[in-house]
Amino acid sequence: MDFEKIKDAVTSIEMSKAMEDRVKENSGKKKTVPVNDKSWISAACAFGILLAIMIGMPYLTKSGEVTNFSITAYALSDDGKELNTTTITSEKATIDLATEDRMDRILSISGDGANLIFTDIRLKITGEQIDTITYTLSGGKFIEDVVFTYKEYIDREWLQAEKINFITREPSSDEYQGIKEVGSTYTVNYNEQENHQYSIAIPHNGNEVIGDDVIIKANVKYTDGNSEQQDIMVTQELDAISLKLK
Amino acid sequence: MLQLVWSAEPDAERIVDTYGNMLFRICLVILCNEKDAEDAVQDTFITYLTKSPAFNDSEHEKAWLITIATNRCKNMRRYNIIRKHLDINNLQLYSKNDKNHDLLDHLMRLPTKPKVVLLLHYVEGYKVDEIAKILAITTSAVKKRLQRGREILRESYRKENEYGF
Repeated sequence: MDFEKIKDAVTSIEMSKAMEDRVKENSGKKKTVPVNDKSWISAACAFGILLAIMIGMPYLTKSGEVTNFSITAYALSDDGKELNTTTITSEKATIDLATEDRMDRILSISGDGANLIFTDIRLKITGEQIDTITYTLSGGKFIEDVVFTYKEYIDREWLQAEKINFITREPSSDEYQGIKEVGSTYTVNYNEQENHQYSIAIPHNGNEVIGDDVIIKANVKYTDGNSEQQDIMVTQELDAISLKLK
Repeated sequence: MLQLVWSAEPDAERIVDTYGNMLFRICLVILCNEKDAEDAVQDTFITYLTKSPAFNDSEHEKAWLITIATNRCKNMRRYNIIRKHLDINNLQLYSKNDKNHDLLDHLMRLPTKPKVVLLLHYVEGYKVDEIAKILAITTSAVKKRLQRGREILRESYRKENEYGF
């Protein structure tokens, strides 16, 4: 495959003169309009009042139920940074994450890897006086990405004991990457969320499409013994995953 | 210490002249539809002129425009369930290099994610870490998409030559 030829072909693409003129004209029309100082002050005041209300306002689910915690979804980069962080609300949040990246490279040691869509979605909860958080999936599994050596790779008993059921490996790499099965539920201490960053693997119908709706229950236990729960509905849109509060 | 700040007037004429064709070819290859590509480019410039963001240099400005344009294309694709494809004969209207139209056609038929990464790497010359920043994904995701894109491209080209379709 000659990528130089592809480059030549792509770089030879140009807008027609008429199209270029249209773009210039339309862009020029929409140029920033001068800001009216008085209306700016009114807008700032309204925003300030709204912000003040929001700071003191607990979080609402779609059914109007009041909860005292919020859930954010994100992906994790190689250097540990959070990407595409989105607060989950009753409005659908589409997260364009790598649902396809692990396809074709998965070696299933055991289990049902072939029937799962592996996502990079991770969840985090923010709130006051939270002791523990328990996540439960209605379908699929929570998974953890792990790295191991060739010696460990050939030790099948070790792999099974560690519940590393799926292995992915970059060609020409000495490093083996595995997907460790955490299970359909896990509990984590609020202050230790950073140490348990698990992503979600969702069952598909054989054609990389989520069959049934998947619900993630996020149950929060407070230090005073009370608990609250929010349910997140997971749906699929082309090659992206959408999350919203149920 | 004197800090140099790159500054350019956010004017429609200049940015369309400088970046119009570059953004149009990226959007056309992603969307495979000239009208949608024009809309995506238009929206990108309107966002630029409305927000008037500050940049460190021209490379920073270019990368920002690519980020906005590719995000716009991804959103447009999301709502176009049926994949529209530009007829190879229509490519001649926009691509002057007619020798390699078949290669361009193969590239345009790729899934969006590997296609965008291949475009930025092989056509625009960005490195893996730079693409990761532009698309807000991990470097390993960029590498995987590059590998996957190359594999699909080679396979489709091989099939065409083998079976002649």
